Amino acid sequence: MKTFKYMTLAAALLLPMAACDSFLDVNPQGVASTDDLNTVENIEKMVIAAYSALGNDNFSDGMHAYWPYGDLRAGDAYKGGAGTGDMGDFHLFETFVYLRDDNGYLDKKWYNEYVCIARTNDALSRINAMDATVFPLKTTREAEVRFLRAHFYFDLKILFKQMPWIDENDKTEDYINISNVEYTDKQLWDMIIAEFRFAAENLPEKQAEIGRINKSIAQAYLAKALLYAAYEQDEKNNVVNIDKTKLQEVVTLCQGLSGKYSLTSDFAENFLCETENGRESVFAVQFSTGDGTLYGRLDWGAMLNYPMNPEYGCCGFHSPSQNMVNAFQTDDNGLPLFDTYNNNDLKNAEDLLKYNIDPRLNHTVAIPGAPYKYNPEFIFEASWTRDPNTYGNFMSMKEVVLPDCPCFAFSLPFMSSSKNRDIIRYDDVLLWEAEALIELGRQNEALPIINSLRERAAKSTARLVDVQGDPTGKFKIATYQPGVNCPAWTQDFARKALRWERRLELSQEGSRFFDLVRWGIADKEVNSYFATEKTRRTYMGEAKFTKNKDEYFPIPKNQINFSKKLYKQNYGW
Amino acid sequence: MLNAEEYGLVNFRAGVNDGSILNTTTLSNGQPNTGMNKYTYMYDVAWNNGIPTLNNIIMPEFLDVAGTPVMRAGDTDWVKEISRTGLMQNYNVTVTSGTDKGRALFSVDYYGNNGTVKGTYFDRVTARINSDYKLINDRVTIGENLSLSKTRSSVISDRTLQEGAKNIQSIVPIHSLDGGWGGPASNMSDRQNPVRLIEDNKQNHEDVFRIFGDVNLTVDILKGLTFRSKFGIDYTGWWKRDMQKTYQSGFMSDKTARLNTYANYGGNWILSNTLQYKLDLGKSNFDILVGQEMLKYRLEDMSAGRDGFLLENEDYMYLSVGDGNLRNGGGATAYALSSFFGKINYSFDNKYLASVTVRRDGSSRFGANNRWGTFPAFSLGWRVSEEGFFEGAKNVVSDLKLRYGWGMTGNQEIDNYASYGLYQARYFTDPAFNRDQGTAYDITGAGQGELPSGFVRTQLQNPDLKWEATTQNNAGIDFGLFNQMFTGSVDYFFKKTNDILVKPPYIATIGFGGDRWVNGASMENSGFEFLLTFNKKIGEVELNISGNIASYRNKITKLPEDVINSYAGNGNDQTILGRPWKSLFGYVADGIFQNQEEVDAHVGQPGKGVGRIRYKNLNGDNVINDEDRTWLGVEDPDFLYGLNLSATWRNFDVSMFWNGQVGSHANVNSIKAFTDFYGFFGGQNYGARLLDAWSPANPNSTIPAVSANNVNDEGRFSTYFIENTSFLKLANFEIGYTLPKAWLQAARMQNARIYVSGQNLLTVKKGWGDNAFTGVDPETPDFAYPVPRAFTLGVNVSF
Repeated sequence: MKTFKYMTLAAALLLPMAACDSFLDVNPQGVASTDDLNTVENIEKMVIAAYSALGNDNFSDGMHAYWPYGDLRAGDAYKGGAGTGDMGDFHLFETFVYLRDDNGYLDKKWYNEYVCIARTNDALSRINAMDATVFPLKTTREAEVRFLRAHFYFDLKILFKQMPWIDENDKTEDYINISNVEYTDKQLWDMIIAEFRFAAENLPEKQAEIGRINKSIAQAYLAKALLYAAYEQDEKNNVVNIDKTKLQEVVTLCQGLSGKYSLTSDFAENFLCETENGRESVFAVQFSTGDGTLYGRLDWGAMLNYPMNPEYGCCGFHSPSQNMVNAFQTDDNGLPLFDTYNNNDLKNAEDLLKYNIDPRLNHTVAIPGAPYKYNPEFIFEASWTRDPNTYGNFMSMKEVVLPDCPCFAFSLPFMSSSKNRDIIRYDDVLLWEAEALIELGRQNEALPIINSLRERAAKSTARLVDVQGDPTGKFKIATYQPGVNCPAWTQDFARKALRWERRLELSQEGSRFFDLVRWGIADKEVNSYFATEKTRRTYMGEAKFTKNKDEYFPIPKNQINFSKKLYKQNYGW
Repeated sequence: MLNAEEYGLVNFRAGVNDGSILNTTTLSNGQPNTGMNKYTYMYDVAWNNGIPTLNNIIMPEFLDVAGTPVMRAGDTDWVKEISRTGLMQNYNVTVTSGTDKGRALFSVDYYGNNGTVKGTYFDRVTARINSDYKLINDRVTIGENLSLSKTRSSVISDRTLQEGAKNIQSIVPIHSLDGGWGGPASNMSDRQNPVRLIEDNKQNHEDVFRIFGDVNLTVDILKGLTFRSKFGIDYTGWWKRDMQKTYQSGFMSDKTARLNTYANYGGNWILSNTLQYKLDLGKSNFDILVGQEMLKYRLEDMSAGRDGFLLENEDYMYLSVGDGNLRNGGGATAYALSSFFGKINYSFDNKYLASVTVRRDGSSRFGANNRWGTFPAFSLGWRVSEEGFFEGAKNVVSDLKLRYGWGMTGNQEIDNYASYGLYQARYFTDPAFNRDQGTAYDITGAGQGELPSGFVRTQLQNPDLKWEATTQNNAGIDFGLFNQMFTGSVDYFFKKTNDILVKPPYIATIGFGGDRWVNGASMENSGFEFLLTFNKKIGEVELNISGNIASYRNKITKLPEDVINSYAGNGNDQTILGRPWKSLFGYVADGIFQNQEEVDAHVGQPGKGVGRIRYKNLNGDNVINDEDRTWLGVEDPDFLYGLNLSATWRNFDVSMFWNGQVGSHANVNSIKAFTDFYGFFGGQNYGARLLDAWSPANPNSTIPAVSANNVNDEGRFSTYFIENTSFLKLANFEIGYTLPKAWLQAARMQNARIYVSGQNLLTVKKGWGDNAFTGVDPETPDFAYPVPRAFTLGVNVSF
């Protein structure tokens, strides 16, 4: 009897053994499976996740902003920071000769573009699978996401020339078999253009949310892609032909946008928080503060670019070059000093009052003795710079804000703001129109466009005053009046004027290098820049641009290895 | 001190173009360069035929931030400022009582450790209550063990402080002129003041409360048949309130006070039931055990934060009173394990021993198809010394046993949800080091406020994921000689591991969340160990010496395509197949370029120059690139050994433990990057080794010339960063005294011993020859927290 009692006791305690297999079913907590996301509401969220990729950034993780790739390599700015070793990869970009194909920063940049592309492909495959009757905005969202994907591919194209094209129909396990030379250079451009075209044809004129892509934004980017693609290159990156048909379409598209956008009355409005998303901004990355993230979704492209004074503190990157600053000088007619600008160095606030200058200089560059970011009581000093012996005394101002601006925020120990960053602005669109017209031989139609930018610049002096209200520069800028203040408006002269205007208008915004490569003059321009600039900056002693190689970055060696040598390296590397 | 303008000084910057000669900007008319900072270091350099000579260093009186002097130049020994003698205390009181029906134990333990880095500490109080009771004719025993502990420890990481102390320059003072904190001046790198970090983190701590225990039942059902059941729990609750104050430290500052609060709770319960049957049939003895065990683990966590506080102290800073930037998050994780096992132990005549075990283990971490694995094992033993034929040899070989075992075990140490494809709704991640991986976006252009967000893929699924299995063979001999004066053992093992679980890196085009756990490579391990002990009583001295030596080898035997990038090698023709797992793969650093002829004679190496490292051209082409990498050695040691000497004489006891290893190597890149190079990180502090760097006047140095940048990419992994970490250490030395019986009885004590010991007293390292060790402690090379030298005083008393 007692034995029986013991056995029952034992058996009762052994019951849990029967729990068996279902006991090991432990569901992941707080995660969704891919199937959960295929509802209309969740697809909208995946589209937001794709937009979010535009603003996800970190200066050490393959920066989105263009200045390290576009300004440092074109003679518009020096790297800055605490010596040539600080963010050393940018020094390698700036000097060209030490850059190797196994550079880790380029590997991260490549990877991060594909992180963005993967988000767009993920959203697209879900959108495609959804029925339009249940999802009325299906085509609109598809167009938005294809636009975003094309933007990321555009970035890869201008940096690396040949990249693998992955779309939403490719299976993840097949990605490793897709080569970067599966499509030719021309085909890749055509594919990018096709995506923007689809977007332009299928998007509404206006969207409920400002941050969404609409028809006009897509048309602008289509024009940009057509413009770049019009200058056809051979495999050695030489420009061998200009496709006039594409240029004509550029002109038509840009003209079509004239009703949708216009230039702001003061150039400054493009670079201030309070006037962001204005009538001149076409496509901008939307940033925010006080949004429940750790420090806010800030512009990491500016995170290193503040000066060293106590109101800010770090880190002194992105110093405009002496060559760039000098280029803002004008002659007594108010036109650029095309040939002699670099014979005279503008160094400080006194020089700004002594020599004729284009007012856009004071909007773009912080110069010792002059107000910082339009505040006459906040004077920029040489001591605010990080390492003047190596990098000089100038700093870039377009991307920064004043410390009392509500959008200014710390992201310890660095700082930036939630000011949106324009990827396309209407002045850029006008310059494309002018460029296309000039290359089509219609330079007379380009003259008023260029002049409209100069007129706007001439009127943008209200904020450029000192504490007494006097102007902080001897502003002298005039429109081109052929036969009056400048020679005849030939195609050559118009081209020269247009290229100069681009340099001044978009200075420090990361466009210059890609312009030089597009025009096929990168080798000539960059090497002649080094020839004079190395007398000013000792670290440039060995710098040299190698033709038919440095127009594009090398395909990251790490990826070539991952692909089991399926990827092919760019010419010259 | 001469005025700068009078002296005509040169402002120094280590600006380099070709890497070998330090450039300076020259003056005109002896006037300082208008762009320079007046208050930074002044180096008086004379140029003789292009060779600079340092005449004098004029120390500035003040350091400035943006032209304004804010600190007096100091001479701070930062390592000293953050260090202290650590103190560890441990007090334990245990009381026990018992009758033949029940026993109880109560103990209280306090452990406190103030680390060798200021501001780091760990305190723990533990209470233990164990008891058991016999019922029903002593056939049933019910018992419980319960331990409750409360821990409080510092939050500031000792690693952060040690890194901070090595990074910040010694000219930076601890405090600024106005009594605030010192910090980097304008031309220095953004590095934190570690003394400030200690002070500003004083109020931060993390608290853990843990309850650990079990309820157990033993039932003697029949003679030899016992049933045991145990239900155990292990739960913790963890809380951390991390307050970050505003500060100004040189040019670095944060003008917002921030609070982040974290909490989690969870743990596991475990239930095990076993039935044991012992059968004694004269010479044969059986011991049979069958049982099951199941475990469920769950942890739930939460975090929240706010910024902007009126008062910055711990009495005020709570979430509710923060001004803004409200943020929060939380989640959970869980896993379950279930096992069934059976074991039979058999011994015959105490001479022949055999044991067979079978386990069937299931884990929730694997795909539904592969949850379970079966793991058998057996072992055999033969006490040869008990054999009849061995009688004669017994006075020499007093004990001899042969053993052999074979078994399979499984490994499931992977993420809890490793087999699932995962998407997470992720608003944001911390963007400090990598870009934000969140999905929020200001689509409305409002510039602030709550943002819409989405989902991000974090893992690809693998429903075929299964147990990693290791099969092990070991054979051994235990012996005793001369009436157990010598005892020892020799062991040999051979292990094969299959389906090793890894999460390999993947090609970039897959994007984020392409991680996927897979079963991959196979590996073999083999080794031997030899142990010998000597025991003898010589007069009143009882001597015990024991030494051991061991060696092991490791080899990857199977390497599938999809895991090739988880291991060293170039992912193509040079792979780890057939090599040890911890192989080192990289470039061969082949000396320093002594002159321009050597530079020109070498093949294309971007960044090469006089005074720079030359990398060997291994494949005979005309360029140095990642095809010039090869296998540079193995981290594992050739041998490990230990020696323990102890002796007792009357009431004294002495013991000494030496240990060491031969032939091990380590990658010391993390520390050597700071001691040997300037150009990797600009504007901070560097190691003293850099003063001995190569220059035309110092051509025998193995350290490359000082350079402000790193165009030669000398941080690449090469033989330069491989150091031999062989060592011999006196790890422990202890002297103890047991109080004589007479004194004990007088004080009603059962036993009392007092002892003094030292740990880590002596280290011999290989500081000569190839791959000489340049660090501090080869046992903890690179940047691991060093093993401190410790002295302990202890007392054990029992009543």
